[in-house]
Amino acid sequence: MAARRVASDPSRTSQLSASLPMLDINSMPEQSLGVPVITFDHVSKVYPAQPDRPALKDVSLQIFAGEFVFLVGHSGSGKSTFVRLLIRELMPSSGRITIANEDLGKMKSWRVPYLRRNIGCVFQDFKLLPDKTVFENVAFALEVIGKSRHVIKTQVPEVLRLVGLQDKLNKRPDQLSGGEQQRVSIARAIVNRPPLLVCDEPTGNLDPQTSRGIMDLLERINRTGTTVLVATHDREMVDNMRRRVIALDRGQLTRDQDRGVYGFDA
Amino acid sequence: MPSIFYFLREALKGFHRHLSTAVGSVITIFLSLLIIGAFAIGGFIVNNIVSSIESEVNITAYVSDDASDDNVKAFQAWVTEIDGVSKVTYTSKEEALEKFRNSMASSPEIIDQLDGQNPLPASFDIELEDPQQVQDIADQIQANEYFLSVCDNQDDPSDSLKYGQKTVERLFALTNTIRIIGVAVIALLIFIAFIFINNTIRLAILSRRREIAIMRLVGASNNFIRGPFLMEGALHAIIGSAFAILVLELLHRFALPYVSGALMWLPINLDFTVYLVVYALLIVFGLVIGLIGATLAMRRYLKI
Repeated sequence: MAARRVASDPSRTSQLSASLPMLDINSMPEQSLGVPVITFDHVSKVYPAQPDRPALKDVSLQIFAGEFVFLVGHSGSGKSTFVRLLIRELMPSSGRITIANEDLGKMKSWRVPYLRRNIGCVFQDFKLLPDKTVFENVAFALEVIGKSRHVIKTQVPEVLRLVGLQDKLNKRPDQLSGGEQQRVSIARAIVNRPPLLVCDEPTGNLDPQTSRGIMDLLERINRTGTTVLVATHDREMVDNMRRRVIALDRGQLTRDQDRGVYGFDA
Repeated sequence: MPSIFYFLREALKGFHRHLSTAVGSVITIFLSLLIIGAFAIGGFIVNNIVSSIESEVNITAYVSDDASDDNVKAFQAWVTEIDGVSKVTYTSKEEALEKFRNSMASSPEIIDQLDGQNPLPASFDIELEDPQQVQDIADQIQANEYFLSVCDNQDDPSDSLKYGQKTVERLFALTNTIRIIGVAVIALLIFIAFIFINNTIRLAILSRRREIAIMRLVGASNNFIRGPFLMEGALHAIIGSAFAILVLELLHRFALPYVSGALMWLPINLDFTVYLVVYALLIVFGLVIGLIGATLAMRRYLKI
């Protein structure tokens, strides 16, 4: 299952993503534990600017297909570094990261885009294009990976309905609330139906109630079989949801617990 | 294939957004291509002239006013005997002046300014059978003692012999100087063109950096991200070369007829296919400048 999820060559990518289950929020959660989707094997990351203080230090973990995982820790604990290593924006200083049996360290740089097509990304600052409408922002993600106009016309409204923005297709980001903007960015992340969704502080800019809505949405996406990784320092949310929690403290993995809580002192 | 249109659309947007720098790079590309094209066509014209001069089989030997008649006759007799000389015609000072008067019929005041003096030397017109022999026979004449005694310029006897090869050498000396200056100007212009392209592409990259970040995030391929900028460089090149071709063609159509009217004896007109080849090469060369410029800019400013 997991091996299928990252294409081994570009021509097969679209075919693979097409073969993934449709995003149907009513479908049963898919239990496909077995082969890990993400493996960190003694991964360390040292930034040249701070050679004495590694951002990540000897982190080893496995995340399986269909899991919903919280990555928690204070600011500067290495959460963002973790996410950037996953999408191969950074390379580890030592250790090995594999995604669906593919070693990121050995991956040719021209194949990195095809890796990223299989990882949806959501960030705290939404990263929407201000001069494009909601529809265009989501369509952009399909356009730039060469999807046909037909695919764009059918998939974009569908995914916007899924995130509850079917009435705001023609609004611009500055006409939307923060929560709505984050929904657009989630829609953009999942419109290509990636098997893995990575969120870096998705609720960092949002009030608690809006945050809960976003988390519900992420949970629904997870139920369709998408593996979801959420980096956050939102204590309340982690405690409420009782999912697997991976805690980082100053770059070190301090806790990895199923159905965990945030666990740090305020 | 649809991405070509996407690239073009984005490139046009970029062109529109940074009009002044884009115009700057188009103008520098235009100027460098114009000069390159002018040199190329000028080169073809010079080649044309050179080959027509080289095919002339005549040698003209100028005779000094002070030369004795005996020596002149002896020289004529000797020259006529050389193998390969088909005909020798003597032109006296008076005949030379008459010829000059005829060729200047449109402006007789030049003749009046001579005040009745005749500065033109007498000369022998030596026709040869085979143009290949020109240099050989010219050398023979130059070494001949009769010639040395009658030649017009006693200090430099070779100056009293006119034949195609020497004209060609002078022409080459002139064109070489022009060529060196031209290469320097072209190199400078190309350098400036690179700077302008670099700037426009840098601005285009900066103004699209949000989009680029998102494109990387959602997995647009590197070539897809680079496409609009390469297209923009190519666009500058194509517009610049189109202007250069336009100006060259206007010169060809309207300025060149005047020149060839004034320089009737020089074969200035070229076959139109020569122009077409030069124009095609200008487009190719412009594209090379534009694409290399864009690539260099991307290497510096676009981290993928």
